[in-house]
Amino acid sequence: MRKQVLTLLGLALGAVTIAACSDKLDAGASCPLLCPQQAISLKDTTIDAVAIDTTVVGLPSIGSESYLMLASHGDTLETRAIVRFDTIPQTYQKNSIDSTIVHIDTAMLVTPIAHIDSLKRPKSPITIEAYDVDTVGSDTVTAVLASLFRPDRFLGSKTFAPESLKDTLQIPISTDSVLARSVAGTHLRVGFRLVSSHGYDLRIGTGAVSQAVTLRIRASTDTGATPVTVSPLSQTPTNQSFISGPLTDYTIVLKGQTTSLPNVLAVGGVPSRRTFFSFNVPSHIVDSTTIVRASLLLTQIPNRRVDSKDTVYLYPLAILSSPIVTDIATALGFLSTPGSFGVDSLAVVPGDSGVKSVEIVGLVRTWKTQPTTVSPRTLGLVSAVEGQSPAEINFFSTRAPVGLRPRLRITYAPQTNYGLP
Amino acid sequence: MMTQVFARALRWAAAIAVVPIVASAQSNLSSQGFGFPTGQLSTRAYGTGGALAEIDPLSPVNPASLTLLPTRVLFFQLEPEYRTVDGPNGTDHTTTARYPVVFGAIPIGSSWVFSLGASTLLDRTSSTHFTTSQPISATESVAMNTDYRIDGAMTDVRFATAWSPANWLRVGVGAHGITGHNLVSIAQSFDDSAQFSAFTTSRILGFGGTAVSGGVQVVTKSLVFAGSGRYGGPLSLHAEDTLLTSARVPNRYGASVAYVGIANSTIAIRTSHDSWSSLGTLGTSQLHPVDAWDSSVGADVGGPHVGDHLIFLRGGYRMRTLPFQAAGQDVTEKSITGGLGTAFAANRVIADLAVIHASRSANLSASEHAWTFSVGIAVRP
Repeated sequence: MRKQVLTLLGLALGAVTIAACSDKLDAGASCPLLCPQQAISLKDTTIDAVAIDTTVVGLPSIGSESYLMLASHGDTLETRAIVRFDTIPQTYQKNSIDSTIVHIDTAMLVTPIAHIDSLKRPKSPITIEAYDVDTVGSDTVTAVLASLFRPDRFLGSKTFAPESLKDTLQIPISTDSVLARSVAGTHLRVGFRLVSSHGYDLRIGTGAVSQAVTLRIRASTDTGATPVTVSPLSQTPTNQSFISGPLTDYTIVLKGQTTSLPNVLAVGGVPSRRTFFSFNVPSHIVDSTTIVRASLLLTQIPNRRVDSKDTVYLYPLAILSSPIVTDIATALGFLSTPGSFGVDSLAVVPGDSGVKSVEIVGLVRTWKTQPTTVSPRTLGLVSAVEGQSPAEINFFSTRAPVGLRPRLRITYAPQTNYGLP
Repeated sequence: MMTQVFARALRWAAAIAVVPIVASAQSNLSSQGFGFPTGQLSTRAYGTGGALAEIDPLSPVNPASLTLLPTRVLFFQLEPEYRTVDGPNGTDHTTTARYPVVFGAIPIGSSWVFSLGASTLLDRTSSTHFTTSQPISATESVAMNTDYRIDGAMTDVRFATAWSPANWLRVGVGAHGITGHNLVSIAQSFDDSAQFSAFTTSRILGFGGTAVSGGVQVVTKSLVFAGSGRYGGPLSLHAEDTLLTSARVPNRYGASVAYVGIANSTIAIRTSHDSWSSLGTLGTSQLHPVDAWDSSVGADVGGPHVGDHLIFLRGGYRMRTLPFQAAGQDVTEKSITGGLGTAFAANRVIADLAVIHASRSANLSASEHAWTFSVGIAVRP
């Protein structure tokens, strides 16, 4: 009995001891009666903090696009895609034995395309034409290349019904032309042209997204013959792989809006463009407070030229280069990846108008206590489909009338003597 | 072996100091202002409602009582409190664990005893979650969720000595350092996370102050008269190296009468007065500390034997005013207490347990009830 009492006492002590190490924190039902003024009040200010804003046309640079845009919108927009096959094999395998290509039964351009939303399918069949655009002249100059899309350089074409536009298009081209390149060991450079009775644009895969156009050659009808698949390759300019590499496949713009007005900031479009912002935010806000919201307020100008009803996502991206890089176009080549710094995208429709709010609080917070030499107060605004879609978003710049200019709205928690009862 | 185990436990307890390590809600009546006054009572004294505080050597209240310690002793105490707060918007059930007293003493010669200990003066540990609508501009507001957490306490570190010049007289003095900190953390998030980004911020508020104390006990055959007081010196509140505010450590005085005419038993009545209002300038203008009385009656009686162990049974009643007003109203507390204690290991280990039920109220539409379990372990190494 006595031992049982002592055991019971010991258990009680143990239970209390264990309970002392646990906690339960959920509380607050008596607020605000018993816990007034504990929340830190926020302040809000909108300032003309944009020191520099400008649009740079032609970014990303030629050949850096994720997809090649093939557009046919009449006089508004016309683009072509170029794919280089600078090495055509001269042999194929037949029954595991190398054989010289002396005849080509079929030559097919296997052309991956980006998924087409059902609402974006063409209203009528479209035709994709292929031309031989190899030249000894300036092989990246648009005017030179555009002149090569002529009947005597025609390689082949195929017309596709709207519903047949799925993931890959097979476009047959002249076997004689391919054979001639194979035998002679010369380049085959193919220019793609879209022909449509209605304005339409299509996105073709590139090597940048591992979906490059390939040339499939069948050199024999023999069932033992293995088809030859040729991947794109660019060898010019020679010994400059950092230039020749991107030129494996690229887009040229024959017709498009190649400039922007000074009071307009543009993102996306054809040629693709990016916008640069530099900010001047008072240090007493950046350094001495906790910023909870930073919104770049931009007044949109409706752009109804092409795809005005498509939704385009804009990425506000940090510029990672230091202020040593003073050329804005170069600086816009050093952008953070989308989603970095907790900065989200913004969905915009080109034909829309009004004030749009680009949320950049995650980026602005990184400016705290950092000198501008370490963390420049800059931002690049890019389209998620730059170089792939003709949709262009326009905003008023700082050269526009007051009231339409970009502004920065900052909501912050001021430094307070919190914690004192 | 047993002594070594407890010695290790004591070192561990000392390492984590006497500040609470677990948080509860501040949306309550008892932890307003700079926090809840635990009373600096040992488990034994707590079991009697605090009535034995002036004559209990393990309670760092009256330094004269140290002379009652015949040998070296180490003591620590843990004290979980289970609190229920009924407010206008519902009920909160929270748990707070406290380690309110750590204490060591050593006799020198036949009539001197020295001690060093730390006890919680004001426990501010709390955590509150609430949602408010934060106005941004004249036309815009955002729903904001705030987690407001405070860890830490104001701690009273006392070095004391006591002397018994005669069998009927005991005197003692103490030097106090008021120290400790409040780690204040605020996390605010927003329902609209697309535009607004959550943030957290924290700061450490540190206390620094001094005080002196003295006490006396006069012993007769069946009565013990005891009285003590603390005189507060300057007290400062700083964040890092910046002095924020200053005040004075509250003065305190108290007295008790105990009847000891029954073997192994003590029946006592005590009252004490704390000048908490001296903390007024330590906070903002919203802080309203009030001077308060703390009165109690209780008994510690020798009960049954379990084996060779004498079990002490305790009970008491306490009523006091808490130091900080809630919403402009004084907060009062009434407690019914009970407890027991015994000695183990050839009287080298003394274990005490107390259970306290407290009701706290103010002239508000909120009330508070708490169950506190206090466990004290004293070891004579």
